[in-house]
Amino acid sequence: MASNKVYWKSFDQLANTEVSQRLAENEFAQDIPADVFLADERSMEAQTSRRDFLKFLGFSTAAATLAACEQPIIESVPYVVKPDSLTPGVPSFYATAYTDGQDYASVLVKTREGRPIKVEPGDAGRFNRGTNARAQASVLSLYDSARLRGPILNGKDSDWATVEASLKKAADAALAQGTQFVLLTSSVFSPSLQAAIERLRQSYANFQHVEFDAISQSNTLDVWEALTGVRALPTVDLTAAKLVLSFGSDFLSGATAQQLSSDYAARRKPGGDMLRHVEFESNLSLTGSNADKRVKIKPSEVAGSLAFLVNELGGSAAKVALRDDLSKALKSVAGELKAANGKSVVLVGGDDANAAKLAAALNALTGAFGTTLRTDKPVYIRRGNEARVANLVADLNAKRVGALLVAGTNPVYFRPDFEKAIKGAKFSMSLTDRMDETAVLCSAAAPMPHYLEAWADYRPVAGEYTVAQPTIKNLFNSKSVLEVLGGLSGDARSAKDQVAALATSFGLNWNQTVHDGGAAVTSGAVSGAAAGAAAALAASAKVAKPVAGMELAMYENAVGAGYQANNPWLHELPDPVTRLTWDNYLTIAAADALALGFENETNSDGSLDGSYATVKVGKRVLENVPVFIQPGQTAGTVGLAYGYGRTSAGKVADDMGVNAYALGVTTGAVAVEIAKADGMHEFATVQLGNTMMGRRIVNEVTLADFIADPSGSSWNEKPTFHTIDGHKTSEEANLWANHDHETMHMWNMSIDLNSCTGCGACVVACHIENNVPVVGKQEIRNLRDMHWLRIDRYYSSDMSKERAAEENIGGIEMYAKMEEPSESPAVVFQPVMCQHCNHAPCETVCPVGATVHSREGLNHMAYNRCIGTRYCANNCPYKVRRFNWFNYMANEQFADVNPSQDDYGRMVLNPDVTVRSRGVMEKCTMCIQRVQYAKLEAKKAGQPLADGTFTVACAEACDSGAITFGDVNNAKSAVRAAKADARAYHLLEEVGTQPSVFYLTKVRNA
Amino acid sequence: MHYESPVRQPLILGDKSYNQITEDVVRPIENAAPRSWWVVFSIALVMFLWGVGSLAYTVGTGIGVWGLNKTVGWAWDITNFVWWVGIGHAGTLISAVLLLFRQRWRMAINRSAEAMTIFSVIQAGLFPVFHMGRVWMAYWVLPIPNQFGSLWVNFNSPLLWDVFAISTYLTVSVVFWYVGLIPDFAMVRDRAVNPVQKHIYKVLSFGWGGKAKAWQRFEEVSLVLAGLATPLVLSVHTIVSMDFATSVIPGWHTTIFPPYFVAGAIFSGFAMVQTLLLIVRKVFKMEDYITIQHIEMMNIIIMVTGSIVGVAYITELFIAWYSGVEYEQYAFLNRATGPYWWAYWSMMTCNVFSPQFMWFKKLRTNLVFTFVISIVVNIGMWFERFVIIVTSLHRDYLPSSWSMFSPSFVDVGIFVGTIGFFFVLFLLYARTFPVIAQAELKTILKTSGEAQKKHHSDHGAHH
Repeated sequence: MASNKVYWKSFDQLANTEVSQRLAENEFAQDIPADVFLADERSMEAQTSRRDFLKFLGFSTAAATLAACEQPIIESVPYVVKPDSLTPGVPSFYATAYTDGQDYASVLVKTREGRPIKVEPGDAGRFNRGTNARAQASVLSLYDSARLRGPILNGKDSDWATVEASLKKAADAALAQGTQFVLLTSSVFSPSLQAAIERLRQSYANFQHVEFDAISQSNTLDVWEALTGVRALPTVDLTAAKLVLSFGSDFLSGATAQQLSSDYAARRKPGGDMLRHVEFESNLSLTGSNADKRVKIKPSEVAGSLAFLVNELGGSAAKVALRDDLSKALKSVAGELKAANGKSVVLVGGDDANAAKLAAALNALTGAFGTTLRTDKPVYIRRGNEARVANLVADLNAKRVGALLVAGTNPVYFRPDFEKAIKGAKFSMSLTDRMDETAVLCSAAAPMPHYLEAWADYRPVAGEYTVAQPTIKNLFNSKSVLEVLGGLSGDARSAKDQVAALATSFGLNWNQTVHDGGAAVTSGAVSGAAAGAAAALAASAKVAKPVAGMELAMYENAVGAGYQANNPWLHELPDPVTRLTWDNYLTIAAADALALGFENETNSDGSLDGSYATVKVGKRVLENVPVFIQPGQTAGTVGLAYGYGRTSAGKVADDMGVNAYALGVTTGAVAVEIAKADGMHEFATVQLGNTMMGRRIVNEVTLADFIADPSGSSWNEKPTFHTIDGHKTSEEANLWANHDHETMHMWNMSIDLNSCTGCGACVVACHIENNVPVVGKQEIRNLRDMHWLRIDRYYSSDMSKERAAEENIGGIEMYAKMEEPSESPAVVFQPVMCQHCNHAPCETVCPVGATVHSREGLNHMAYNRCIGTRYCANNCPYKVRRFNWFNYMANEQFADVNPSQDDYGRMVLNPDVTVRSRGVMEKCTMCIQRVQYAKLEAKKAGQPLADGTFTVACAEACDSGAITFGDVNNAKSAVRAAKADARAYHLLEEVGTQPSVFYLTKVRNA
Repeated sequence: MHYESPVRQPLILGDKSYNQITEDVVRPIENAAPRSWWVVFSIALVMFLWGVGSLAYTVGTGIGVWGLNKTVGWAWDITNFVWWVGIGHAGTLISAVLLLFRQRWRMAINRSAEAMTIFSVIQAGLFPVFHMGRVWMAYWVLPIPNQFGSLWVNFNSPLLWDVFAISTYLTVSVVFWYVGLIPDFAMVRDRAVNPVQKHIYKVLSFGWGGKAKAWQRFEEVSLVLAGLATPLVLSVHTIVSMDFATSVIPGWHTTIFPPYFVAGAIFSGFAMVQTLLLIVRKVFKMEDYITIQHIEMMNIIIMVTGSIVGVAYITELFIAWYSGVEYEQYAFLNRATGPYWWAYWSMMTCNVFSPQFMWFKKLRTNLVFTFVISIVVNIGMWFERFVIIVTSLHRDYLPSSWSMFSPSFVDVGIFVGTIGFFFVLFLLYARTFPVIAQAELKTILKTSGEAQKKHHSDHGAHH
């Protein structure tokens, strides 16, 4: 039924008065002054004709349209059609493989709104699954604004067609003129790339492919190539080992560190079957710091020591005189090797051919072949051949190379000979990520995609094939090596098609393989080496007498070979052992420093300075190398890290440190001359106190004591307090009302000091996950690092309270001596982040209540409320709170280092975490964004939050599984089990802070 | 008329009439400033402006321009805060506590002592405000209704107690001081010739008429305010000490702090009063009012409080040893023998040893010596706060976090700036305010004036 309601606008209309009738008739209440307007004669005589009007109209419309077209899009705009796989605020994960020229790892990449923002370990079971510091940091290398944006020819911007045509022309010309066409790469273990190279070889009769590794293993590879027939190193399987004996091998930082760290930690769980680790080394390496027994040795003594052991174990090798204490140590180790009965493995660092032969022989003699050393399962990650590099240099110098294509490596930086030699190529081109030291000397340079932008595949180890998929469209005008090589051999397929074809040729389901990141294949296995042949190698090894003078052993820290040297996260991460940042330096023993006049001194503001040295190897000289006095360094040796001293890598890396490669040593160690130079170098250290000062900070017990007393009452005693009611623990003797921790979740974290190797991957992971600012060298020198999570490193001291009591040494002298580390210290690592105290000293003192306790056992920090009194940081017994001294987002001082100040670098920021402003305090939140996300997902699913569905960034990054995070109110959780462990203790329990973080006592298999 | 024993020393020297007292007190206000005043004022102003610049740089760039680091979150800022608050203690003690104890000798010095108190509390107040990382949010420490939801200040925090303690102290001190000034402003008003000056002092004197009723009320208000101010003398520094005492940091977590801080504050306050009054009496020729006896009295107080502080230092060491807590033991051993041993021994020398010279009457009545000691004590008390704050923080529980501290030029600039600011205020005060409470002083002229006393003793006290 239609409504018969009448709507009226005014009472006049309702009453239908005269006025309203008149108004209804006239459209305009007042007269329009049309007459006045028309009467104005000037307006009628105006010059603007109809045509002019149309012209103006046309022009202004066109102008407005053009202006609108050129309007730059500053704000991001929402999708018009949303991709199915993408929901704003919900991360997507892609399985892929990480490579940077040096490393390989199976990883999972987290993307948000189409941007990769985090690299996580790949699926369990994949070879070298996990993330070291470089893998974690690699996502920032994607957003490095120093990356090459487009092809360059003869120093001028060009395009791909021109550059590729020039390359093809040069290659064809070389073929015609009978000169070589050389492809120079790092180790190639990608089946697709190998196939593409093979096709190129078919197309060009003059084609040569030269592979080399920045940190060479060429001599070792030669030994294994001769034994197994393939140029690859055998897999080290620590899961089957009871004893690992290492001669300067930093295997926890090496090519397969993820795999080895994880196996190592698994085998180091305390118990009767615990893996024992003995290290003979010159530098105090990360690996050596974790050893149960560490013997200081010079690099030139390694071959002699191995020969000694070979002879002890029934082999025959040349004999050489050794120091008495060394032969004594070796004798006892020989006994251990025998007792291990085949469940041992001997690893050797550096790249000395004789040492490699002797180590192979020793492993053969001890029965390691087939058990701990899988010679039938080669690792293909290192394949470089220095002999071929030497040939290439000779050919270049002799002008026998018509076309040189360098792909993904930097020979001019890694090998000093190339600086001159590369000019000998008629045409040279570098496929590179930046205008590096090589690219600037080449005729042409063209950008290579970052691994997160490209399709690729790998066969890192026999039996495993992995596929790397892009997670973002190419940021710059880059092209995959597969496509560039395809273009030369007439293969027009895209990189994806090439990889897909290869995967299919293995009989794999393409979609499934991409999803899983890889699959098991039968390819790559070999029959393995015969132990007899290996044992016989010992006789052929030359064993020289130890060098009398100084020797240099090079090592790698988080910067690694130097491919990612422009990544500020890797520099901000302190070296696990020296605790220095933003530098490389000569590590030297205190006795040698004294003899040579080198000094380290702490200034009144806590900053550290060190003398300079000049290092000479033959004719090659490194000037102004800072010297750092390192406890545990073998007298007569010095160490120097690779990867620094870049000159053309970007704002972060350039002119930082010295280039160790410039000494032209590819075997890892060499005799050197060292002299003092003038001036003092400014170091940036994060830790001044080196010893525990007799305090119970890292609780440690020997394996024997651990087994003898499983309850821990003798080695993990809780501190108690005298009260009127007798002795009470800190939890019982309590001034405060307890929080309710029974209902809902109670988050706790367990840190197993036995598993932690101190590598630092967690520190970088924490930086990335939580948008922690990078503050650069000067601010770290000012002791203002921003790490939410730090790994404290303590050395043992010769002085102890017991010794002082025995020898009647007074308190003043005792404490002074306690500050000094031993010459051969035992080393412990302890990750420390906010302990999330349940009686938090920080919470009570904040005048505005900016830091408060949660019902779930966490200590929250409300940045918005913080006014920056720093009282909380002062009152924190763990000193884990970090203050925003400057506006790191905008202050010019940090423009070069802090990613959040770079237009590209900013893309790496985690959108779930606030970037803190100046003047507020910040600290570990236990990745509250992850906690909340997981809780919401569980709520949406209507399920209780199951243990293991999520974890915090540091725990996720840890290859050795040292960190366990979870809900102790969940009876099935792993962290609850850990809390019940006899090894569990709270750091500074006696302060009564009741932390939510606890540590598991370190057990040394001594 | 009040009778006073002839044994007591006269408090006003010379043959003074009421008019002469007025003339003496009002002279600096009515006459042009001497050249020396301008020189000193210019220096103070430059120092002050340097401080303003340093503060502006801090606020504009961040606390990072100071020398602090991740371990030492407070250093010069809070050292200066406590130092200035401490200095601000003597004024109230002299005017309130000595009033209640009927110590008439306070009358010649209480005005300037109170002025010093107020000016130094202003300096002190700058530090807790500007040490904040986000100083523009400083008002969040006030429990005021807000639009942030149910956000409230944290009443558990000693820093919040500081806010109340300092603001209360400043308010009561200013009111007390001002009430005392009213009759004196009226005196200046009555003598003023320049109409502008006359008008200003008219406003300042609140229309004081000098009626008997007004005097009676004046006396009553003074007594009430003295009663209010007395507990504040104890509470302010007690609460300041709780910033440290309630924490968990070895070297801070000490129950002896409240009395120890109060004694130290009185000690340093009196030293500063000495420093200032020795200059004032010389420059403004007030030797007849601020007599050697005054100086000696204050020296005795310095000696006593210095000794109390010394006992506190030794008690701390003893308790650290006796407690058996290794962190505590190390904290105190490190103070005396660690990298900051020089600060500790400077403190010990200046605060404990130097006041012991005051046992000798010859030394405590020597003006030059007194002046030197007063400066030494102030230096020592600055070091005391530095020692407590920095040496406790720089090496606390975990040796991995141990660090060192060295001030930046901005730290120095701000400190120097507050000294400049203090003297700017004090010099302006000395030229515009009656520096002696002449109205009060006149009440004791008949009993404690030298000439009058002499007259009494010569002629007896029966008329």
